[in-house]
Amino acid sequence: MAAPSVSAIVRSGLRLLTVQACWNYERMIGIGLAYTSEPMLRSLPGGRTGARYRDAMRRATRYFNAHPYLAGLAAGALARAEHDDVPGEQTDRLRTALLGPLGAIGDRLVWAGTLPAASAVGLALSADAPAGIGAAALLALYNVPHIALRLWGLRAGWRYGTKVGRALGAPFLTTALRLVGPLAAGAIGVALPLVAHRLAGDLDVAGWTATAVAAIVGVIVLRWVAPRLGAVRLGLLAALAVLVGTAW
Amino acid sequence: MSLLTLSALGAWGMIAGIDLVSVLQVMVARPLVAATVAGVIVGDPTAGVLVGMVLELYALEVLAVGGARYPDFGPAAVAAAVAAEGVPPILIGPAVIVGLFTAYVGDWSILALRRLNTRHVRRLAARLDEGDVHAVTSAQFAGIARDAVRALLLTAFGLGLAYVLRHWTPSAVRVRELLTAVLVGVGLATAAVNGKRLGGGRAGYVWLGIGLLGGIAWLLLR
Repeated sequence: MAAPSVSAIVRSGLRLLTVQACWNYERMIGIGLAYTSEPMLRSLPGGRTGARYRDAMRRATRYFNAHPYLAGLAAGALARAEHDDVPGEQTDRLRTALLGPLGAIGDRLVWAGTLPAASAVGLALSADAPAGIGAAALLALYNVPHIALRLWGLRAGWRYGTKVGRALGAPFLTTALRLVGPLAAGAIGVALPLVAHRLAGDLDVAGWTATAVAAIVGVIVLRWVAPRLGAVRLGLLAALAVLVGTAW
Repeated sequence: MSLLTLSALGAWGMIAGIDLVSVLQVMVARPLVAATVAGVIVGDPTAGVLVGMVLELYALEVLAVGGARYPDFGPAAVAAAVAAEGVPPILIGPAVIVGLFTAYVGDWSILALRRLNTRHVRRLAARLDEGDVHAVTSAQFAGIARDAVRALLLTAFGLGLAYVLRHWTPSAVRVRELLTAVLVGVGLATAAVNGKRLGGGRAGYVWLGIGLLGGIAWLLLR
């Protein structure tokens, strides 16, 4: 097996940053996955004009969906399977088997954990520190684990190949999955009073009362009455109600 | 506003827009970041931070899961920061409306983008099924270009809205103050509801509660 060069893996890593560029309803991130894997497939026997390369690319462009940060795990594993000359049907089965876990783990770890936690820290610092510190903290706290996760995924995918399921049981992943949700909830809790004080602190009593009433009604609507309404639409409706009410 | 400032805002809105899904995803699309930088561009970082904070509360609701629909807060936050420039903090309510409405329109623009991508991929289907690497590259770059145009148009729409707001503000100071109060309240509610959800089940109340106590202590002790 002629393993891909370091530069090919680096190129794949950079391409992984655009894995969702052509997100579409038919193949979802399949095209992005093929684009990410392509540098690692060039070293297949026969090179870029060989039948193995073309077959691998053909398979790589098919339907695929996963969390974008963990898509590297699939890209690495599938590229390794092609290099190991694993039969096409087995590669396809591996691809299908990765769909669910990579989506579920990534969503919980990133969208429902790291991101809201970093956002809450950014909010808390914005309320209490000079302008820009909060935004910088958000970017730093989010992107260190983000980039590390992408790099780890690509490397682990290549290392484990068809046995990539083992990588998903890595202790750091299971620990992080257990901690990030509560951590995000706690961080949001810390941020709330600080943000409320910063944003509504200069309002008079009537303003404070309006904020409190809107917050209570908002919780009731978003939690129980109409959870599918969404915060943006609720905010716009509330603003419309204020404008109509005051005009009337 | 000078042409240079306008160009910088357009470029920044575009970068924030494509960061949401297509390229990098390093979260410069988050309203707190996008609005802070836009505030620096227009010369009022504090206004940018404040309006970004309000929109960030709303953005805590977004879970960009799979093919889910979600508002685009990046270009929206840029427009909101422009609308908030030079406005006292307690009167930023209308600027928040600019941000929320632009983000809402952004939701539809993402749907349109996905449909365009799908149409393009359908056209390339035969070549993709043959493993043609040029078709893959073409689809990727066309997707990025389309998203960049989408983000730029959305930023332009938001800036237009901000311009209208700044030059046509019929509401009295009291109304704008009330708008600020109510929109901050709904934002806090959004953050609280989602904080509880992220903590999971009953534990969500516990973790959110512990955090709240910590936040209040921070507020009292500083």
